[in-house]
Amino acid sequence: MQMTSLSLHFCAVGVANCTSSRLDILLVFARGFPAVGKMMCKSVKALFLLILLCGSLATACAVRAARVVADRTAKLPHAVLVVHGGAGVEKGLTVRQQEEYRQVLSAALLRGYAVFKRSGSSLAMVEAAVRYLEDSPLFNAGRGAVLTRDGKIELDAAIMDGRGRAAGAVAGVTVVKNPISLAMAVMRRSPHVMLIGEGANQFGREQGVEIVDQKYFWTQTRQNELDKMLEQEKLNKQSNRSGFAAHKYGTVGAVALDGSGNLAAGTSTGGLTGKRWGRVGDSAIIGSGTYADNKSCAVSCTGQGEWFIRFTAAADVAARYRWQKVPLRDAADTVIHKVLGSGHGEGGLIALDRHGVFAMPFNTAGMFRGYICADGKPHTFVYDK
Amino acid sequence: MPVSYSPREMISMPKVYENVLLAVHGGAGVLTREVVTPSIEQKYLLRLEAALKAGYQVLKSGKSSLDAVVAAIKVLENSPLFNAGKGAVFTHEGRIELDASIMDGSTGRAGAVACVTTIKNPITGARAVMERSPHVLLMGKGADRFARQVGLPVVEPSYFFTQRQWERLKKILREERQRGKAAPERQQKFGTVGAVARDIAGNLAAGTSTGGMLNKQFGRVGDSPIIGAGTYASNDTCAVSATGHGEYFMRCVTAYDIAALMKYAKLPLAQAAHQVIHQSLEQAGGKGGVITLDAHGNCAMPFNSEGMYRGCITADGTVAVAIFK
Repeated sequence: MQMTSLSLHFCAVGVANCTSSRLDILLVFARGFPAVGKMMCKSVKALFLLILLCGSLATACAVRAARVVADRTAKLPHAVLVVHGGAGVEKGLTVRQQEEYRQVLSAALLRGYAVFKRSGSSLAMVEAAVRYLEDSPLFNAGRGAVLTRDGKIELDAAIMDGRGRAAGAVAGVTVVKNPISLAMAVMRRSPHVMLIGEGANQFGREQGVEIVDQKYFWTQTRQNELDKMLEQEKLNKQSNRSGFAAHKYGTVGAVALDGSGNLAAGTSTGGLTGKRWGRVGDSAIIGSGTYADNKSCAVSCTGQGEWFIRFTAAADVAARYRWQKVPLRDAADTVIHKVLGSGHGEGGLIALDRHGVFAMPFNTAGMFRGYICADGKPHTFVYDK
Repeated sequence: MPVSYSPREMISMPKVYENVLLAVHGGAGVLTREVVTPSIEQKYLLRLEAALKAGYQVLKSGKSSLDAVVAAIKVLENSPLFNAGKGAVFTHEGRIELDASIMDGSTGRAGAVACVTTIKNPITGARAVMERSPHVLLMGKGADRFARQVGLPVVEPSYFFTQRQWERLKKILREERQRGKAAPERQQKFGTVGAVARDIAGNLAAGTSTGGMLNKQFGRVGDSPIIGAGTYASNDTCAVSATGHGEYFMRCVTAYDIAALMKYAKLPLAQAAHQVIHQSLEQAGGKGGVITLDAHGNCAMPFNSEGMYRGCITADGTVAVAIFK
């Protein structure tokens, strides 16, 4: 009998924990992803069922179930990892093509989640997931990054720790295999927040991060994109413009929440095809493309970086959430659909708060994105719904 | 005539100047009365006043707040007294790498350059990026190339050299050698220059320019060229230019945070600026200050360091300049 009441107590605690914040997540899911929503709705029903069963105080079965619920909440505090692979998705990718991207996203999510299971921090989760996406030639970051006008590769990345708001960023690095890890080194092992260009490369060499030849990053697909763009430019005589509209923006990023309730965000990119003059986008700018603060949320952006800088987009999501006290999803939607849209800016973002609520809005045709929660199963998406 | 604050006023709330058209700063940091003798103080205050008057002339002739910000900052960049343009500090390697940014509060457009070495007035480089490129931030050699391409005045890196800054670098390197690699974080002066302005049409603008930190690491970029950290302007809220330990301003997204507090938490300018400098930044461990100006002409200039070179000019041409609290 003693055993029973103890379990019941656990159950009550579990349910109480679930009420406000958890239901909020469930609602978010239900609205955003019908399939997941349905599943979640089922689990809500299951929870209520459990309460009923416990209320009856009758069967040993209910007691066992209650114990399971209690265990689940104890062992798996809200760990959530959300990733994106850029909002520059073209219309009309075939299912097979989508599958290719989604597989890499899934693998990145699992990689990040594995880190969490080894009691890793949200920072480590973000780094692991972003590294995986950087290593994939499919995305515009690390290997497979777009080429600058003179056929070179210049990479930007930033990472931020929601606990204490430490941050690291690099821009215009050319020889570091995983710029996100260099950003991490800047944060952890330098007194600075941002290092750029040759100075950043040099710091990478000193810190012993993996150095590669420029050839490592190069892919034929990106070369073709650059050639095509330069040709079009010749035709249009747009000599002084970088031909924004025509060009896709791929960026990769991740936001994570760990068992201790700490948030982190990271973003990595090759920037714009055919960029020049040492152009730096939003990815490397704390507050624009990347932001994390335990007091508000973690955000990673993708899109026309210039607009994200002008609107300090990532910090804006956080400020709306914190000072305006609107739900995270509303804050993120407003920034993407109203603020960014008002400037004809295109892109998307992923945002995550301490309750595990997240949002992944975009105003383009599609955004490579996905998440993984307590169940350890990756969920990935390309287009709407 | 220096404006004096009572210590109590400083802790509670910064003084709010009304009907201000233009405010400038020339950096913040550990400035004690022993270091800043009256004759030195006079030199700095005169330069600040000259910058204010240059910007004021521009505004009075009906030009935009952007023009005024550039005019005022150019005066400070051209002066060897301040750590921006000529007279900027040296990096660890003995180079001069300059950062600057500008933002237009009426359109939300912005421009910035980082680690440039040949643009005579980096603030004009930032403005050119805003107006003549599709980008916001250009860095390094690419930014220098862009400036040449659009025809901005370009100089040899030696133009920025001053014996005073060279001696300071030599001294700090000598100390570093004596103490071994782990030189203690020096109590440094954060020299940066900046301006915020409001024109006849009520449009706001903000700009910041700097040489960064003395003895800084190769490629280090501070808050000055970062929109939202060192510079921000929006007609809906305020114009902000920051100076101080840049790393903290970047982490706290300081300039934007002041605007966000006004917009979302509905705080008045002075309170928002005060909260960000004396709570958010202070708690993070950052030292420095900001100059802020809203569309009604209210101007607050809070700082949590010992001093900040600052000043403002009102619509009727009254100048107020100060260094200490």
